[in-house]
Amino acid sequence: MGRSTIEELRLLAARLSGKVIQNINSTFIGGGVAEILSRMVPLLEQLGVDARWNIIKGNTEFFQVTKKFHNALHGRKENITAGDFALFKETSKQNTKETELYGDIIFVHDPQPIALVSRKKEIGKKWIWRCHIDVSQPNQDVWNFLEPFVVQYDAAVFSAPSFSRQLPMRQFLISPSIDPLSDKNKELPQETIDSVLAKYRIPKDKPIITQVSRFDYLKDPVGVIQAFEMVRKSIDCRLVFAGGTASDDPESDKVLAEVKERAGNNPDIHILLIPPGSDIEINALQRASTVIVQKSHREGFGLTVTEALWKAKPVVASAVGGIPLQVKNKFTGLLSYGIEGTAYDIRQLLTNTEYARWLGENGREHARYNFLITRHLKDYLLLFLALDHPEDIIHL
Amino acid sequence: MIEWLIDNWLKITIPVVAFLATYVVGLWLKRIVNNAFERWASRTRWEGSQLVMTTLRRPFLFWFLLLGVSIAIQVSVLPPEAKSITIKAMGSLFVLSLGWLAVTLCEQLLKIYLLRLKAPGPTITLARNVTRIVIIIVGVLIILEIWGMPTSPLLVLIAVAVLAAALALRNAAPNLFAGFQVSATQQIKVGDYIKLETGEEGYVTEISWNNTRIKALDESIVIVPNNRLLQHTVINYGHPLKKAKEPFRFYSRTHLTELTGLKAKNLTELVDILKKAPEAVIYYHTHRFLEEHHYLTPEPSNDFAVWVSDALGEEVLGERLVSVNTFEFPSLGALRDRLVGIIEEHLSKGSNAREAMAGREFYFMKSVSVVLPTTYTVHDLREFIETLRKISLGSLYFHVFESRLRLGRGLNDFTIWLRDSLGEEELGEEIARLDPYTYTLEGLRSTLIQLIEKRIK
Repeated sequence: MGRSTIEELRLLAARLSGKVIQNINSTFIGGGVAEILSRMVPLLEQLGVDARWNIIKGNTEFFQVTKKFHNALHGRKENITAGDFALFKETSKQNTKETELYGDIIFVHDPQPIALVSRKKEIGKKWIWRCHIDVSQPNQDVWNFLEPFVVQYDAAVFSAPSFSRQLPMRQFLISPSIDPLSDKNKELPQETIDSVLAKYRIPKDKPIITQVSRFDYLKDPVGVIQAFEMVRKSIDCRLVFAGGTASDDPESDKVLAEVKERAGNNPDIHILLIPPGSDIEINALQRASTVIVQKSHREGFGLTVTEALWKAKPVVASAVGGIPLQVKNKFTGLLSYGIEGTAYDIRQLLTNTEYARWLGENGREHARYNFLITRHLKDYLLLFLALDHPEDIIHL
Repeated sequence: MIEWLIDNWLKITIPVVAFLATYVVGLWLKRIVNNAFERWASRTRWEGSQLVMTTLRRPFLFWFLLLGVSIAIQVSVLPPEAKSITIKAMGSLFVLSLGWLAVTLCEQLLKIYLLRLKAPGPTITLARNVTRIVIIIVGVLIILEIWGMPTSPLLVLIAVAVLAAALALRNAAPNLFAGFQVSATQQIKVGDYIKLETGEEGYVTEISWNNTRIKALDESIVIVPNNRLLQHTVINYGHPLKKAKEPFRFYSRTHLTELTGLKAKNLTELVDILKKAPEAVIYYHTHRFLEEHHYLTPEPSNDFAVWVSDALGEEVLGERLVSVNTFEFPSLGALRDRLVGIIEEHLSKGSNAREAMAGREFYFMKSVSVVLPTTYTVHDLREFIETLRKISLGSLYFHVFESRLRLGRGLNDFTIWLRDSLGEEELGEEIARLDPYTYTLEGLRSTLIQLIEKRIK
C-alpha cells in the first residue's frame, strides 16, 4: 500500500470528522461479519473516524429463526412458521427498545438487527443496511417479511450485483475484504505449515485439495467429497475439508456429522473441525494446498476464495454470490456449476501445473488491487460520504 | 627663547633635516616603486595586480613619515627613555598600518578567488572573518612584543580557543571542505534540480558553508549536509525549465459502485435499458475491466461485450462490441449511440431468442466518482515528471481517462495543460495521440515519463 493510498484514506476520513458511525450486528465472534468488523472498526478509528460497534441480544431460539432466515434468503427451502416471524418481531421489538442508537450513521449488518430501523422516524439519522447474504433468489415469504424494514433505510449495500433489486433507495456494491497482515493471511514459514499438517496428520505425499468453510449445507461439503472422489479415480490426491462453527449457526454440528459419515474411512479425506481463532492453522492448510475449492450453493461473497487468491493458489469455485467478482473464469481461477464441472476443473489444475501457477499469480494480483482491507475501508468511507452527495461525480 | 634657539640650532636642525630628508626620499622612492609596479602590472595579466598596487600606494608615505619621525627622534637630544617610548609607538603604528594593509589585501584577494570558485556568500564571509581574526591576533602579538609585554598567556588562550573551535567544528569541517569542493567543481549550483540516492530531491536554493538547502516539490525545505553530497550518488537534472503560466494541480479519483437494480436477460432488454441509462452507467461498464485489471490486461473489453459472448453465447455480436474503441469517442453519449447501434443492427437481422440463465443476467451499475485534491502542484516539466512518478494510479486514471470522457474535456488534462499553460504543443499532441486503453496503468505512467524525459533532453 502506497503513501498516496494512505493520504487518500486520511483525506476521506477527515471529511467525516465529527460523525459517529455506529455498527450493529448480532455477534462479536465467529463468521465473516464479525471478522470484518473486528478489523474495520479499529482501522476507521486510526483514521480519526469515530466508529463504534454494538450487538443486539437474542436467545438460541431467535438465532435459530435468523439462521432459517439466512438459509431462506440464500434460496434454501426452510419451514418458517408464523411463530418464527412472531419470535423475530418480538426479539426485534425488545432490541429496538433496549439498543442505544447514538450514531450519526447507523450501519446495520445483515438481517438479525434489521428491524432497528423502526426507530428511524423517531430519531432520524442516516441508516445503512449492509447485506452480506446472497439474496439473488430469496425465499419470497422471508423477503416480503423483511422488505418493509429494508426500504426504510437510506441506502443498502450488497456484495454482488445479482443481490440487488429495484428498491426505492440507493444501493451500493461493496465487496468484503481480507487483511493481508492478519494471522489468516500473513506469510508463514514452511516449518509452521509442516507443523500444522503434522498436527492434523496430513501427509505431504500427494497433492492436497482443500475447501475451507463452515459446516453448512450451503457450502455443499458433500458435493466437495463427491467431486474429490471423481478426481481421485485418475489422480492420487488428498482432500482436506476444514471448517468451523459460529455462535449464530446452530446447524453446523448436524452438517459435520453428515459430512463425516459421507467421508467414511477414506484415509485421503481429512475432515477437520477447526475451533474459532485458529487462523494460523487455516492459513497453513491453505498454503499447503495444491488447489483450493469453494463449491458453495450460495455464497455471500466468499472470503475464503479471496484468502486463496491472496495466497496465489489456483481456485475452483462455484459461480455464485460474490465469487464471479473474484474469479474471472480462466483468468484468475476456474468457475464451475456442478459436481462434475468441479471435478473436471480440479483435474485440469492438478495436471497442468504451469497453468495452475499462472491462474494463482493472476488471482493474487486481482486480490491485491480489489479485495484487501484498504480498498474496503475506502469504500466504506466513500459510502458514508455518498449519503450526503446524491450526484454521480462528487468533488471533495 | 631666541637665545635658546641660537644656542641649540644644531640640536633642532639635525632632527628636522633628518625628518625632511627621509620624507623626500620617501616621495622619491614612492615614484620609483609606483613606476615599477605599473610596469609589472602592465606586464602581468594577474587580476590582483591593480589591487595590490592601489592598496600599497596608500600607506607608503605614511610609513616614511613614521620612519622620518623615528630617525629624527634617534638623532635628537631627547633622553633615552623618551626615545625608546617614541620608537615603540612608531613601531606599533607601523604594525597597525601593516595589519590594516594585510586585512584589506587579503579580503580583496579572497573575494576575487572565492567568487571565481563560485563559493557561496556565507563561505566568503566566513573566510574573510577568519583571515581578519588571524591578522589581528598576529598584529596584537607583535605589538605586545614591541612593548615588552608577556605574550605567553595570550598564546595559551588562543591555543585553547583554537582547540575548542576545532572540537566544535570537527563535524562541520568535512561539510565546509565539501562545500568548497562542490562549489569549485560546479557540479551542483543554486537552481539545479537534484536527487540524492537516499531519496531527497528538489531545487537547490542555497549552498552555505556547511549545508545545502533543497526545496522539494511539496514546498518543504530539505537541509542536506554538504558532505553527503560528496558521499552519496546525486543526480543533477540541471537548471529549472520553462515555468507554466498556470501550475498543474494533481487531483486523485476514487469511486464507489452504485447498483441500479436494473437487469437484462436478453438483448432487447439490454438495449432498452442502455438507451435510457445515465451516462454514469455507460462509463462504468466501459471502464470497469480497465480499473479492476489494469495491472494485467492491456486491452480491456467492455462489460457488454463480455456478457453478450459469455452469458448469451452471441460471439459474433460480442466481437463487434469488443472492437468498439472507447478512445475514439469524444463523449459518453457518442459511445452509447455506437453500442446501441451495433446491438440494434444485430437485432434487426435476427432473433432475440437467447436468454441468460438465472443469476447471469446483465446487472446495470454506475460509477460514483469522488474527486480529491492532492498536495501535488507542478510548474514545469521536471516537476511534472517527478510528480508523475509519485502520484497514485487513481490520480493518473483521473487525468487521463475520466476527465477526457466523463468530464467532457475531450482531451486528457496533461495535454491541455502542456498546450495552454506551458506552450508545449508538440509534447501535448504526442500524449493526446497515445491510446491509453492499450496500456496497463503502470505502463502508461512509464510511457508518459519517457516522452517527457525525451522532451527535456
